[in-house]
Amino acid sequence: MTIRQKNALLLAAKYVVIIVGALFVLFPIYEMITTSLKYEVDAFKIPPQWIFKPTFANYREVLFQSNFARFFANSIIVAVVSTVVSVAVGALAAYALARWRFRGRTPVVVGTLLLRMIPPVILVVPVFVLFNNLGLTNGRIGLILVYTALTLPFNVWVLRTFILELPYELEESAIIDGCGDLTVFLRIVTPLITPGMAVASIFTFRIAWNEFILSLVLTNRVTRTLPVAVSLFLTDTGTEWGKITAIATIIAIPAFVFTFTAAKSLITGLTAGAVKG
Amino acid sequence: MFRKMLAILILVSLAAMGFAGGGQEEAAPTVDASGNGGFDWRAYEGSTVVFNFPNHVHYNAMMDSGVIEEFEELTGITVETDMMQYLNMHDKQVLEMSKPTGDYDLISMVVMWKSEYAMADMIQPLQPFFDNPALAVPDYDFDDLVPGYVEVTGIAGGENIYRDGPGAQLFGLPFGSETSFLIYRKDLFDEYNVKVPETYDELTEAARFFAEEVPGVYGLTMRAASGHHATHGWLLHASPMGARVFDDNWEPAFTSPEAIETIEFMKTMIEYGPPGMEGFTQDEEFAAFLQGDAAIYLDASVFAARAKDPTVSEVHDKLGFALHPTAKTAGSETGGFGLAIPANAASPEAAFLLMQFLTMKETERKVILAGGAPFRMSAVNDAGLQAQYPEFAVLAEQLKYANPDWRPIIPEWGEINGPLLGTAINQALTGQKTPEQAMADIVEPVRQVMIRAGYIK
Amino acid sequence: MSSHGIAGRKPLNAYLFLLPAFAVLAGVLLIPIVNGLRLSFFDWPLRNISKAPVFVGFRNYVELFRSEFFRASIRATLIFTLSVVSIELVVGTAIALVLEGDIPGLRFFRTLYVLPIMIAPVVVGVVWRFMYHPSYGKINFFLGQMGINPVGWLSDPEVAMKAVIIADVWQWTPFVFLLVLAGLQGVPKDLSEAARVDGANYTQTLLFVKLPHISSVLGLTAVLRLIDSFRSLVVIFNMTFGGPGVTTEVLSLHLYKTAFISQRLGLSSAIAVILLLLIFALSFVLIVRGVRGEKR
Repeated sequence: MTIRQKNALLLAAKYVVIIVGALFVLFPIYEMITTSLKYEVDAFKIPPQWIFKPTFANYREVLFQSNFARFFANSIIVAVVSTVVSVAVGALAAYALARWRFRGRTPVVVGTLLLRMIPPVILVVPVFVLFNNLGLTNGRIGLILVYTALTLPFNVWVLRTFILELPYELEESAIIDGCGDLTVFLRIVTPLITPGMAVASIFTFRIAWNEFILSLVLTNRVTRTLPVAVSLFLTDTGTEWGKITAIATIIAIPAFVFTFTAAKSLITGLTAGAVKG
Repeated sequence: MFRKMLAILILVSLAAMGFAGGGQEEAAPTVDASGNGGFDWRAYEGSTVVFNFPNHVHYNAMMDSGVIEEFEELTGITVETDMMQYLNMHDKQVLEMSKPTGDYDLISMVVMWKSEYAMADMIQPLQPFFDNPALAVPDYDFDDLVPGYVEVTGIAGGENIYRDGPGAQLFGLPFGSETSFLIYRKDLFDEYNVKVPETYDELTEAARFFAEEVPGVYGLTMRAASGHHATHGWLLHASPMGARVFDDNWEPAFTSPEAIETIEFMKTMIEYGPPGMEGFTQDEEFAAFLQGDAAIYLDASVFAARAKDPTVSEVHDKLGFALHPTAKTAGSETGGFGLAIPANAASPEAAFLLMQFLTMKETERKVILAGGAPFRMSAVNDAGLQAQYPEFAVLAEQLKYANPDWRPIIPEWGEINGPLLGTAINQALTGQKTPEQAMADIVEPVRQVMIRAGYIK
Repeated sequence: MSSHGIAGRKPLNAYLFLLPAFAVLAGVLLIPIVNGLRLSFFDWPLRNISKAPVFVGFRNYVELFRSEFFRASIRATLIFTLSVVSIELVVGTAIALVLEGDIPGLRFFRTLYVLPIMIAPVVVGVVWRFMYHPSYGKINFFLGQMGINPVGWLSDPEVAMKAVIIADVWQWTPFVFLLVLAGLQGVPKDLSEAARVDGANYTQTLLFVKLPHISSVLGLTAVLRLIDSFRSLVVIFNMTFGGPGVTTEVLSLHLYKTAFISQRLGLSSAIAVILLLLIFALSFVLIVRGVRGEKR
């Protein structure tokens, strides 16, 4: 066997690995989408109908459910506002931690990282009690505050790495020109860390859009978000898989969009810290 | 100043209303039959009732029947609905009812939450409403409601907290209540000439027969998943087999030979049941019958309408109905849902109007025609309805054996039901422990719950 | 990693820049957590949430350590966490090693592999539960085609944990793969070239050049996965809800059930404290080391 043949064979083997992996990755997603396009009785057919006439009946039922538009709007509002607030607040803090040496900096950095580890479930009880006293249990504001807090540590961490990579000279000359710290941050630093802010935004949006447990407890009929709405369709009288997978597919749309339009930012975000730290 | 006066005015009028109701607490909740023409349905025109209910056969029928719209038309009250998966409803309701003013004006509760809500003052006694002539519909006919359902869904504070008796008050009305009976595949029973089981021995034999002799068909479908479902499945058979959760002194009684025998029976049924049945929740229990995998169903009676619905059931035209088989005794479950008004409801009066409207005879009939379950004796015994719904005759007979003491729904039941009893039963069903071991292991944890709540020392 | 931190800037501004973040974190994370810690010494049934909690000292903790189901949930957490982290690390690293280098189309597949990570845990739980269905699920259907009897994926105590692990491996192996691939791309080309010129074979290059170079990436990946799997809840919540028995009832699910099903807010706070301590213990060492490393 020549080296060339050997290389070709090796490449072929690699493609086999890639494709098998991709099949494993894609099958559940394929299953979700196709089930959402089948009639309820056909979803359970064994042997499965691999070829079938798709129907949008499930989507029609889900979308015209009296409250769906409301849940959808809540999810959008909560996710977008949390993202904007968390990234803005996170960028400010990241800048302070990257560019100042001050007493307590190391504990703050360590503390921020520790906060990133907090399991959302432990917040459920005390946050409910706190918000109940403050009258925040039914509004979207409470949920936005929680998602901001949960995503801040990651955003501070990611944005700080991006700021640390900027050459300091630009800021230095601006300071010499008499710019204040806030002006330097807004005019010089922010434009340069846009890629970092994109990463932070996508990850914040992902958390706020997908979160389940806190939303389950902290929302009501008016403020409920989509992941909680899924559980409404897990009925007691024969789980309506068609509708569930339809709403699951709708929830997954941002995931598809981000994956195929901002793959680079995603991979930066996922590898942030791990590779650079 | 003006605000203060307004507040005082409101307080005074509230107090007046309270007195009007409070004077006759002892009277039975029967409704004055005279003068039904003068009732004013529009007294609360313009207010809004927020109604929380489960995604469940009966409530789906309610939505499909158009009775909510009819109520809105009749009263000028707006009804906002909030539908949920039933086991999720509990957390949501408790959280809402622990706020100063809750989101809900009317809730549907699973009967096992009744005592918990009532004893924590989360829901309101209904007697003051029934005593108020401005609120009580004259021709309501309270006594026509299935008495067993009323006791199990609505009454708390009497004997053992969850039964009727001295000190008991009415907190809820049945709507989506159920007992248990047998639904079987008439086509298969006829084809193979199998006797419809009247006893548990015959039930076991029929289940064995289908599992072993008929390809592609299994015996009984059952819920058994860890937690609430396993406990429900167990209680369903424990009652006729003579097993109980507590003895008369609130000491655990679930290690008795009868209790163990009940688990052994369930294990046999799993052997003859569809694959993976030891992990079935209620919807999987249903699905196995609807898809034609199981020949026998023995559980909540509300399922009948769904089994007959051709859009979801492959077996809708092949059904027979029979009584819950007997073992030591005849005893079917009493459960399902009831309506109640949270103590912190914003518009309790309007909610009470909706509650009555939904449980009136005319409404009941419309909900039944849309696939709901009957809860009035007049409907169960109605010859016309019995002709149209063959299961009603069986139901009428079954209700005589419905056991209101079927499940000890004390306020602490939630902690015992799923986390302790239901977990142990599932451990036994899945072979992680022997039935004796599994039940013995939770005696002490259950006793701790009862000690903490002050039942025993 | 260089550090540009300039000591000369006014410290006051640093605190002002930190203030909003600090306010949110203190208000929504720190204060509730401290309250939770305090609550772990009280008995407070959810149904009596409008009444005052009752002080019980360490009784909640004593009860936990006596409870068979609590010990079972610790065990379930350890089995789940250690299994998923080790499987994902090995498989993810192996795939990354196979696929490193310039393979046409890799970028596209790498994008595909991100998909599971982005999908909501609720959706993951629901879809896998559907696929695991004993009679109608596709997995048992495929097994049946191969002549294998139906498996009670979510109902058999011997299998349920494996089923949960498989779903997690599906969702998170791509994460390990991406991280390791990024790490491998950071290995200087000339280093492996030099090794090969010196006569090292593939295994030797791997063991002595590549793996040492990505060891810090591997370590951090392991910690990130360890922490995330330790706190994972929603997938299991929607797939098994802890069953059969308590075999898949991980600590965070046990906490949720204690709070909202058993309605013991105090006891659940004690579980929260233990969960938090375990997670901090796991991560603290590495983070401190990471920050120190950065300073150097």
